[in-house]
Amino acid sequence: MMKKITVVLLVVLMAVASVFAGGSKEKSGDNSLEYIKSKGTFVLGLDDSFPPFGYRNEKNEIVGFDIDVAREVCKRLGVELVLQPIDWDAKETELATKQIDCIWNGFTVTEERKKALTFSDSYVNNAQAVVVMNKSSYKTLADLAGKTIGIQGGSSAGDAIEETASFKNSIKGVVEFNDNLMAIMDLEIGGCDAVVMDLLVAIEVAKTKDIRILDEVLAQEEYAVGFRLGEIKLAEAVNEQMKAMAADGTMAQIAIKWLGADITTIGK
Amino acid sequence: MGQVALQILQSSGQSLKIFALTLIFSLPLGFVVAAGKMSRFKIISVPVSIFIMIMRGTPLILQLIFVYFAPFYVFGFSFPRFTACIIAFVINYSAYFAEIYRGGIQSLDPGQHEAAYVLGLSKRTEFFSIKLPQVIRTVFPSIGNEVVTLVKDTALAQTIGVAELFRAAQTASARMFSVMPIFIAGLFYFIMNAVVSKAFDYFEKRMSY
Repeated sequence: MMKKITVVLLVVLMAVASVFAGGSKEKSGDNSLEYIKSKGTFVLGLDDSFPPFGYRNEKNEIVGFDIDVAREVCKRLGVELVLQPIDWDAKETELATKQIDCIWNGFTVTEERKKALTFSDSYVNNAQAVVVMNKSSYKTLADLAGKTIGIQGGSSAGDAIEETASFKNSIKGVVEFNDNLMAIMDLEIGGCDAVVMDLLVAIEVAKTKDIRILDEVLAQEEYAVGFRLGEIKLAEAVNEQMKAMAADGTMAQIAIKWLGADITTIGK
Repeated sequence: MGQVALQILQSSGQSLKIFALTLIFSLPLGFVVAAGKMSRFKIISVPVSIFIMIMRGTPLILQLIFVYFAPFYVFGFSFPRFTACIIAFVINYSAYFAEIYRGGIQSLDPGQHEAAYVLGLSKRTEFFSIKLPQVIRTVFPSIGNEVVTLVKDTALAQTIGVAELFRAAQTASARMFSVMPIFIAGLFYFIMNAVVSKAFDYFEKRMSY
């Protein structure tokens, strides 16, 4: 009896939720930029364990490439930047319920996400790289047939595997972890045979761990800032500032500081 | 290493805040819920029973997500992150405490009530001078058990973006690409619970009346 009530309650709630989610495409026009300017804050949602794009330094401050770019963009827009760490699996809900104003954290553009979010222009190229232990014999994607792959749950690595049918069908299965570190640790103890993760993060990891990155990548992709669906004016305002930063060299400066080289693509 | 420990120590304040606020609100609220469940009136006891079943029958992590995100879709507003976290913890723990209290109250011999009645004691005197001291002594170890669990449950707060001790350890892990910070966090939980356990042992001995 009890279970039925709970189920009914949940179903009703989900129905309500889906109605609201569908209806949130502001009928009254796009006032996203005014919304940010009138409240004076721009709340950036991030997974604060994603070096070098957004993570905690030794002093427990949130730093990284995305953070520096966002800070500069906010300064130029005349709003205050608020950094809000979130659970990565809940990022879409955080955004939809206006707890945060954007997802800006090495956020990969995927077809799936484009249906639910409005993206800024992409600012850096990324790929889904396959990481294996240095001592292992794997050299190509085909070598991983029948093997277990680890990924971060809710990351675009899952989409990349899903979309690469030949690879997906050849492997034994995918294990999802809370973050990339757990996936890498599982790789180290032999729980999984390879980890699929963002190339730019993998390069960072390879500096400290005994791993290597396969030459073949799963998917070429791009990072961009995610906004609520239909918030085009806000996205364009952010684009404009990022392009201006690319033009005056600020973007390159920040890229060299965090990524070692200017690999940004916006305004080029 | 010291740097990491310091970082974790700083965020343990947030965990302790969740811990303390949850206890402050849920310990008394548990009494209200227990009274509701034991009520002679079905209109009170049935909804309270359903509340307890939902709270004990669904994961705390789900309740956190529900309290934080659901109001937006239903009413168009949300509680602040930390408030939502405290609400979820308080309602969850009050359900557990209520069942512990109820067990304690119902374990009393009905003969005591009859004796108090015969002696002409008021209901108030009967409850506060005779029943309550016994109930507290009976439920104390079970409460201690829940409190120890609460210390560890605070780690769930990060689900809705409340940066507590365990989250700090995980972000430090991500930066260093090492699990050491997570083990240090374990040590912190252990120390906190050692203090809690010792405190409960102490009071239990004091209560051997």
